[in-house]
Amino acid sequence: MSAAVLTTGEPTAAAEAPSASPRRRLPLTVVLALLVLALVLAFSLVPGLLTRSDPAAGIPAAKFTAPGTQYLLGTDHLGRDLLSRIVHGSASSMTSALVAVAIGVIVGGAIGLVAGYAGGWADAVLGRLVDVLLAIPSFLLAVVVVTALGYDTRNAAIATGVSAVAVFARLMRAEVLRVRTSVFIEAARLNGGSGGYVLVRHVLPNAVRPVLSLAVLQFGLAILTIAGLAFLGYGDPPPASDWGLLVADGREHLLHAPWLVLAPGLTIAIVVLSVSRLSRFIDTERNR
Amino acid sequence: MTGAPSRRQLLRGLGAGALGLSALPLAACSVEAASADGDGDELTFLISNLDGGWVPSKSAISSYEANVWQQLTDKLLHTDDHGKVTPWIAESWEANADSTEFVLHLRRGVSFSDTTPLDAHAVVANLDVWAKGRPDEGIAKVGLFPGSTYEGAEAEDAHTVRVRFSAPSLSFLPTLGYHACLLLSPDSVARSLADQADLAHQIGSGPFVLDSWAADDHVTLVRRADYDWAPPALGRSGPAALSRIRFKVLPDDTLRASAARAGQTDVAYNVNPQVLDSFTDNGFTIDVPRYLGFTHGFRVRTTVAPFDDVRVRRAITHGIDRAEILRTVFTDAWEPATSWLQSSVPETTDLSDLFAHDPSAAEKLLDEAGWTDRTEDGYRAKHGTELGFTLYPTPYLTGSVPEAELISQQLGRLGIRVATQNVDISSYAGKVDDNPEQGLAEVTRSFVDAGTVAGVITGDGEDWFGLQDSDEELTELAARVAGTGDRRERASVIADLSRHVLEQAYFIPLEQNVQRIYVQTPELTGITFNAVAIPSYHAATLGRRKAA
Amino acid sequence: MSTTSPGAGALGLAVTRSPLTAARSRYAGFALRRLAQAVLVILLAYVLVFLVLAAIPGDPVSAQLDNPEAGYTEAEKARIRSFYGLDKPVLVQLALALGRALHGDLGISLSTSASVSSTIGEALPSTLALASSALVLAVLIALALGFASQRLPEGRPNALVRTLPTVFLSTPNFLIGLVLIQVLAVQLGLFSIIEPESAGATLFAALTLAIPVSAQIAQVLITALDTTASLDHTEVALSRGLTPLRVFARHLLRPSLLPTVTVCGLVVGELLGGSLITETIFGRAGLGTVVQKAVSSQDVPVLQAAVVLSAAVFVLVNLVIDLVLPALDPRLRPIQEAS
Repeated sequence: MSAAVLTTGEPTAAAEAPSASPRRRLPLTVVLALLVLALVLAFSLVPGLLTRSDPAAGIPAAKFTAPGTQYLLGTDHLGRDLLSRIVHGSASSMTSALVAVAIGVIVGGAIGLVAGYAGGWADAVLGRLVDVLLAIPSFLLAVVVVTALGYDTRNAAIATGVSAVAVFARLMRAEVLRVRTSVFIEAARLNGGSGGYVLVRHVLPNAVRPVLSLAVLQFGLAILTIAGLAFLGYGDPPPASDWGLLVADGREHLLHAPWLVLAPGLTIAIVVLSVSRLSRFIDTERNR
Repeated sequence: MTGAPSRRQLLRGLGAGALGLSALPLAACSVEAASADGDGDELTFLISNLDGGWVPSKSAISSYEANVWQQLTDKLLHTDDHGKVTPWIAESWEANADSTEFVLHLRRGVSFSDTTPLDAHAVVANLDVWAKGRPDEGIAKVGLFPGSTYEGAEAEDAHTVRVRFSAPSLSFLPTLGYHACLLLSPDSVARSLADQADLAHQIGSGPFVLDSWAADDHVTLVRRADYDWAPPALGRSGPAALSRIRFKVLPDDTLRASAARAGQTDVAYNVNPQVLDSFTDNGFTIDVPRYLGFTHGFRVRTTVAPFDDVRVRRAITHGIDRAEILRTVFTDAWEPATSWLQSSVPETTDLSDLFAHDPSAAEKLLDEAGWTDRTEDGYRAKHGTELGFTLYPTPYLTGSVPEAELISQQLGRLGIRVATQNVDISSYAGKVDDNPEQGLAEVTRSFVDAGTVAGVITGDGEDWFGLQDSDEELTELAARVAGTGDRRERASVIADLSRHVLEQAYFIPLEQNVQRIYVQTPELTGITFNAVAIPSYHAATLGRRKAA
Repeated sequence: MSTTSPGAGALGLAVTRSPLTAARSRYAGFALRRLAQAVLVILLAYVLVFLVLAAIPGDPVSAQLDNPEAGYTEAEKARIRSFYGLDKPVLVQLALALGRALHGDLGISLSTSASVSSTIGEALPSTLALASSALVLAVLIALALGFASQRLPEGRPNALVRTLPTVFLSTPNFLIGLVLIQVLAVQLGLFSIIEPESAGATLFAALTLAIPVSAQIAQVLITALDTTASLDHTEVALSRGLTPLRVFARHLLRPSLLPTVTVCGLVVGELLGGSLITETIFGRAGLGTVVQKAVSSQDVPVLQAAVVLSAAVFVLVNLVIDLVLPALDPRLRPIQEAS
């Protein structure tokens, strides 16, 4: 990878950089990943612009039409346009993954911050909590939480967020400990800064990059987890069109209409792959 | 660290374990392939579940276990798919003029598989438990058996049974061919509830006997060599043609379909109707037997808003495009409903005009009922309440999910918001049948005699429509159906009753019910379906080539 | 999925660096401490899952009892509820359940009335067979990728090998499973769909589960191999004329084992969690199926036991790995630090 192109810029700048003006030596795969994500973002924000068919109401006579010029990705068992369903499912899939990551970052970050900064008793208690959250297989934990909250996509997002709390807490704690021992924090303290001030002014900014890198990675994993929950029927019921649900719906028709599984399944894979690529890119840039 | 294994040893152990583990599946893979083409006479039947257990009073009428019971046991009479009654264990019978007393003449030489004779005493023991059950022991009666008027049965001699009722009981004879009225040895009948749960304790006289079973996994039956009392309706005498039947549980619809397509089973039960055309195209045989009973449709709890308004009920009735449902969700083998009773029921009259698809009439009815406001999403509303409800597609009917989705689309065009929520068998009753707040409940119910209709609609019966006898006309018609001893007269009352039910839109028919779908290899022939659409495999053959 | 995060390293591997003799007593103390921690984590997992599940509205027993057609009197309902302990406050229920669980009694299923231990005991072998075969396959795939990453010269093929783990990790395992069944079972007839517990079907179900997991192992392994390869002694070995496979096995793989084995322990959670979807797709009757049934029938005791058991397996496997690895070979330690 080319050296130091982005070292000075914030990684977020790369993430938000419009794909129309790629920097000169941005790796091709990163450009592709950004393009994919920009497309999905467009799907989520203005689904109506990109597809005209109603995702919930189909033309029954056109059921199981194979992908072609009229329906790019074919139609489903009620004659609904699959492309339109995938596009309209983006918002829900993306938002729920975002919510999940936000919960992980905020709750996990807070736990890690407090544990690392306060130390002692608080650290011990929070440390055990994190150990427990890590010990329960994350998908099972998400299933347990969504069972307790009730089946819908919002709850699936919360459940996924809960299962991601532990990794963020660990990372944040480690970062706080690393920064805390550094000289300039000690200096800030000696200069009479209050605990909270030091935390906000010095510790947090230093933890942003590693947390961001993990957050992007977790965003991809959250898409997968939420899709898995939807696949098992723990998300919104049809006619919602979350990607995992589309795969579950299409599963019965794999024998004679394989596009119903392959299109939404590959959509998930491509989006997660793009997110992973981006995360790895942020990571390498950070370590440079 | 003396005594601790060296790292090398440990790693070697790990490696050996890994090799062993991965070699095992590969080795067994080849064994499977070798045993795949074995005895051509064994039938493999993939079934969704056998969760109902083996207490006859609980599972004999289940869509699933009934497939097993039918091969293990015999019945007194055979009732065919049009309600015609023909001999089986009872070779002949007489009834008195007002249908209160019946004499059954039993076939001679019939025995249960434990060699006890199937004689008049055994039949009386079975009749008693069908009619009354043993409630103190948790053993229920047979629901459709005319038990309330049953006075008793006695063995006049070893092969003659006399049965008496306190009131006309037209349904007695057809009910003897009902799937719940299966003959078991007196010893099995007398057993406790706990004992009955073990299939090995259920001794029948059927063409097959139990070989082995395991809960949630399989039931294997083998042919009984000395069986010689098949009903003439099956067209084969002597022992069964197949040597074994293996019922294998595979709960997942998709996997059953995949297994059939892969040629790994001879029969796959209940495959999504929308997949069937692709099976037909690939040379499979599809059987979609229709039972005697109610059509598939909604019974409406008139106590629940908005269904307390007949105009809303009728709007929904006219808003559903049944032809589109048949075209989209099912195949050509399905037929439109003509009433709330299946068309094969002899008493059914064609009342399809009463529930024809007519969106403009439906819109008008909703306007009249005051649902004229519109919500942001475009749904109808009245006094700030949106017009809508939730459907829980019945897990007992394959295809109910896409059907509900399509109905949701159709009613959505009228401005009615219909949400759909999938439920499994374990939570269905609680959410729908037993939930007084749920307005629409899907009906998938068989019967062998149309007299049944009286029992489901009255206040002291099942009270399907939540009317508690408030509709006097309905109550009176129901009483006349139950009380008459003349079949002709009863038929005309049933016609009036059906018209009333449909005019009031208490019942919203969808299509003629096909509750059992059999995807079969074309090599399987000679199957007979009875009145409740359960197959007999006694005469079935697998014309399977026994190639090298 | 936590394993790929930068922060989630091996649990508690900061071990003594003293000479062997002095280390022994310290090791014993370390082992005891880790054991106590593991037990505590399992107990706390029980409490946490219990409290989360206490939020579930309703239960199958009450649903059954409250069915008007069942016709139970209030007194009868109360008796049955008290038999299941449903009439007590949550914290009392927790104390009672925990007390019983410590004696090995996991309670009674609310939906089937069978004992929870037997329900889970029947399902466990299937899941263990699946998970352990998957782990073996995942390690084999990771080793293959690791070897290829070192053996192939720099360029496209090598880059492809290094991208594969990310691709594996990004593909939903239900997609992998569905495609495997469709292609290998339906079209090629390679394994039996109707006998999902058969060895052939288990192998492919395990492959479904193994692919995403192998990616995590491969990522760690390749990183470790790269680090080792950059050290001088590999060059020396190569210059001595050993075959590439030997160099790989002796000089690259062996020093990279510690982080690799550690990550193998961490992916156990993935294997157990992933079995839920894999078992559904392949129709296997294992722990995942038990969890699904318990979820749909709100059968709290079964769900509780299944989840805590999975957590316990995860904790114990990692405990064993943590205890055995440093005891095995002190030479491994510096590599861990280097990564």
